[in-house]
Amino acid sequence: MGERQPILRMEGIDKRFPGVHALDHVDFDLYAGEVHVLLGENGAGKSTLMKILSGSLPRDGGRIFICGQEIDELTPERATALGIGMVYQELSLAPNLSAAENIFLGHVPRNRLGLVDWRAMRARASESLASLGLDIDPDAPVRQLDVAAQQLTEIARVLSKGARILLLDEPTSALSEAERDRLFVLIRRLQAQGVGVIYISHRLAEVWMIGQRVTVMRDGKVVGTLATEQASEDGLIQMMVGRQLGQRFPKHPARLGQTALRVEDLSLGNRLHNLSFEVREGEILGIFGLMGAGQAELARAIFGLEPEASGRVFLYGQRVHIDGPTTAIRHGLGFLTRDRRQGLVPALPIPPNITLADVSQFPIAKLLDLRSEARAAARLVDDLRIHPPLLNRRVMFLSGGNQQKVVLARWLYSHSKVLIFDEPTRGIDVGAKTEVFDLMSRLTQQGAAIIMISSEMPEILAMADRILVMRDGRFTAEYGPGATQEDLLRSASQAERRS
Amino acid sequence: MAEKRAGRLAADQGTGPTAAMPRTRRAWLLLRQMLLRGAPLIALVLLSSYLSFSTPHFLTESNLVNVSRQTSVTAILAIGQTLVILSGGIDLSVGAVAALAASVSAVLMTQQVRLGAAVIGPLHFYLGLAIALALGCLAGMLNGVIITKGRIPDFIATMGTSTALRGVSLLVTGGLPVPSHLTATELKGYLPEPMLWLGAGEILGVPVAGLIALAIVLLGWFILRYTALGRSVYAVGGNREAARVSGVNVDRIKIAVYTLSGLMAAVAGLVLAGRLNSANALMADGEELRSIAAVVIGGTNLVGGEGGAAGSLIGALTMGILGNGLNLLNVSAFWQRVIQGLVIISVVLLDQWRRRRFSAAS
Repeated sequence: MGERQPILRMEGIDKRFPGVHALDHVDFDLYAGEVHVLLGENGAGKSTLMKILSGSLPRDGGRIFICGQEIDELTPERATALGIGMVYQELSLAPNLSAAENIFLGHVPRNRLGLVDWRAMRARASESLASLGLDIDPDAPVRQLDVAAQQLTEIARVLSKGARILLLDEPTSALSEAERDRLFVLIRRLQAQGVGVIYISHRLAEVWMIGQRVTVMRDGKVVGTLATEQASEDGLIQMMVGRQLGQRFPKHPARLGQTALRVEDLSLGNRLHNLSFEVREGEILGIFGLMGAGQAELARAIFGLEPEASGRVFLYGQRVHIDGPTTAIRHGLGFLTRDRRQGLVPALPIPPNITLADVSQFPIAKLLDLRSEARAAARLVDDLRIHPPLLNRRVMFLSGGNQQKVVLARWLYSHSKVLIFDEPTRGIDVGAKTEVFDLMSRLTQQGAAIIMISSEMPEILAMADRILVMRDGRFTAEYGPGATQEDLLRSASQAERRS
Repeated sequence: MAEKRAGRLAADQGTGPTAAMPRTRRAWLLLRQMLLRGAPLIALVLLSSYLSFSTPHFLTESNLVNVSRQTSVTAILAIGQTLVILSGGIDLSVGAVAALAASVSAVLMTQQVRLGAAVIGPLHFYLGLAIALALGCLAGMLNGVIITKGRIPDFIATMGTSTALRGVSLLVTGGLPVPSHLTATELKGYLPEPMLWLGAGEILGVPVAGLIALAIVLLGWFILRYTALGRSVYAVGGNREAARVSGVNVDRIKIAVYTLSGLMAAVAGLVLAGRLNSANALMADGEELRSIAAVVIGGTNLVGGEGGAAGSLIGALTMGILGNGLNLLNVSAFWQRVIQGLVIISVVLLDQWRRRRFSAAS
């Protein structure tokens, strides 16, 4: 394969964001008919590289060759014209349109009058679906298709624009094993047609199932590129993780008290299956899983945001019925949402955002004590080193890390006893991460119980007293101190490899 | 203070470290910020000054009393509308609710009404007043319940209730003004004195209608700033999902807000009927749009979450004075409509431009 010219060659790609060297002279190439797996932790630079290749981000430096031709400037249109097709992790189909309409969205066939040529569209859609070996009704509204069929339709759409280089960003994160097999059949068919595939995944097992070569990225650099037969699971994990874990995780042991929260038989449709667990005062319970394993639903269900969920919840031994966030907060629960934007009111300044969970419990006619609110907010801003310490600053103007601290301050202010943190360090810089961890430690020392959901293995290993691993809505393993990343990854994905 | 504000502004825009910015640029940014923040008030002052110089009739006591009477109805409605818009909704039924409250109470206060076996009326003013206010609350609550429990968009729900309530008012009044020449002559049924006083009376030369409007503005300002309801209104309008996750009972807040809007619409209806010495089913037509215009001119974000009661008062005054000024300047009624429409559009354009410039940083 090495003899031939690669269809894609990227040399010394460089990209800086304010304060971050996102891509540091990255080299990457791809041959026709090859599946090249791209691995790396969150924030390693995979997505940035793909965005540059698909033209949605400009590069600061480096050269890109397609079939040996140097390309100076890439825009999304130019990338499409050059045969680069990107399938995003979040599907971008229009749910009410048919599969055929989605496939030709933006380039519908027209007749001589300039009107949509429905017959040609249907025929060509059937043809392209059939050529991919897909059994999908082109007239079916996309929302009626299952997730895998939607994913495959999306790929058909990208291919209908003539893509020769296909970028797949975690395509299996929402698929079952059977569905994934369908996707792999399609990928192999495309390979045979000479399409080159860049395949991003967090599921290590898939490296050997579908890939020919694998490139590992870390901190914006390429750590290495290997043929998959030369790679071992342990080797790849070491390449991905690399760095030493130091004082980045200020974990102060806390005294474990009584059981604060006990959950029994929590189920939610086919996403959560009879989950039972408990967390004690002063304890951090880590929940680890690959994307879509059900962690997000677990958090939302406990907090009353999933009305369909069933199961029993006990707080300090008392059975409670939580039918929504209002009751959850009344019972002393707090929830740090995965997406900060879901937790903050951007146009309001810091104090109202800090006190919102308390104020929401007041009768509506109750008067606010603005002065004591400002005092409490000032104390928390000082305590958590929220910067800049301006109380009248609208939170939309704060950095991500400081916004996160404002949400944390809210649950400190309302003295929540059981806190659910869903990806508490998502999208914040290393310094702020350490402060968040420090705060978590302090909370446990004050007797709070914390459920920490994280896909960042170093974090969860360092901070959690106990870790439950989830896969497909079930717990697959429980680890105490001394677990390793290999343990977590194996429990989160092992069963798949066996099958 | 000035330095601090300029610094905050620069940081808001992500234009880099303040210290590195030239002094003149900082001063310019500060000036621009002040101009934009105070734009509604500045526009009102400019408009009033222009009218004071261009026509001798504007700055007279009788004209100003007149303006305050005319503006009061819009201002009262605009405060209810402000609460609704801040929470992320819109109330197209305020005009209809005002007409309903005024019509029903006017009928009850001037006529004998047969309800089954019982014959009611003419009722005492205070009883009529209470019924009008209760009716306003009820109609507003109905809006809120339809929107939250029926999950119908605010726009559609209030448009529907608006149409239906106009119909109810027509049924109640029989399509006639109250009191009409028929009822007035046969039953000697006139609107009670206190009701006329609401719309046309004066206290020490100040129109009562204006004082009521001022009281309502203060009430709105107080609710928004000092109560749990007001805080929740900003939270729901600013980020509904965040409000919910923080424990705000979004449905209850929305119902409360629409109820208050209905209450204020009832007050406005009574004031208007008092001024006109008559109520009818089609009165306050178009007031819902005027109130929305006043809110928007006053700088409240039509999407919700940003703005306040004071701005809406300024907006209502701007609308009132603009209409009054155009009358005094003998601008034809046809052109007045064109001009008022253009003013609303340009104000919103300016506001959106301001928002884009100053919130792009996040």
